[in-house]
Amino acid sequence: MNMLRQAFVLLFFASILAFGVNSFHPNAIPLIGEYRELTEGSEPVIPPSAAEGDPPFIAINEARSDYQAGSSLFIDARDPSEFDCGTIPGSINMPFEYLPEDSLEQYMDSVLAGAAKEQTLIVFCSGEECDVSLHLARNLQAYGYIGVKIFFGGAREWENFKLEIERRVDCAE
Amino acid sequence: MRRIIDSDIIALMARIILAGIFILAAYYKIVDPTAFGTAIWNYHILPTQTINIIALVLPWLEILAGIALLVGAYYRGAILWINIMLLVFIAALASTIYRGLDIDCGCFKAASSAVGPAWDQMNLDIGLLVLALLLLVSRARKWQLANLF
Repeated sequence: MNMLRQAFVLLFFASILAFGVNSFHPNAIPLIGEYRELTEGSEPVIPPSAAEGDPPFIAINEARSDYQAGSSLFIDARDPSEFDCGTIPGSINMPFEYLPEDSLEQYMDSVLAGAAKEQTLIVFCSGEECDVSLHLARNLQAYGYIGVKIFFGGAREWENFKLEIERRVDCAE
Repeated sequence: MRRIIDSDIIALMARIILAGIFILAAYYKIVDPTAFGTAIWNYHILPTQTINIIALVLPWLEILAGIALLVGAYYRGAILWINIMLLVFIAALASTIYRGLDIDCGCFKAASSAVGPAWDQMNLDIGLLVLALLLLVSRARKWQLANLF
């Protein structure tokens, strides 16, 4: 009983400190956060940084049906090391952080092997914590690729839905 | 066996290790509560309305339990919390392994770009749980502030 009473006292003071410090914290958070509920896959993940004119954001269900149809090109915007650890099978790696700024258009054209500007390109990265897919998609759109879509759920949502992942390197350890 | 469990020096070492790790782990979560909330969300276990409350209270509970364990005041309550927290952490990590989630555990930092293997963290937590269970059943009571009063 003494143990439970002590545990309750510790919890009480932890709560006082938590809410007290949070009210003065430079990075204070609201008591009820706004987190996305997991969907059945029909709702696209749209980041807060999305802006008007951005390429369309697609849900996992659409990404999956495009993948199965086989007519879309999937582009992984992450670093090569992350790409090698696990990506959507058949994806092309176009690491946004290493894009050659002075010859971007030639680089895109060569990596996409002369794909038509109307070709459906589905750009993704890890998931909600990364936004390189958004930046890469904006660049592709700016250079005339009009079939760009953003799959913001990314490789993580793909894996969560138990879809196949292509691993070039074993990164489990 | 009982002599080892009740050893004052072993209990003291277990207290220092557990307290140090819990206080260190809490620090980063308090500095960046937003990232810690996101790390909790990534587990997809809790209702979203409860995430921020837990993201705020849990690190302080880790710190208070760590301090209480170290100094030996509210000692039994601290041991109870540390055992409960470790069991919850292990269950959460096991669920990510079972579901094949490749997420940052949010264990020692609120969040990081590097994704550590959940197995390693779970093994560490199981080791810590052994120490915490030892303290739960140990009768060692030396070097505790509560003895002074």
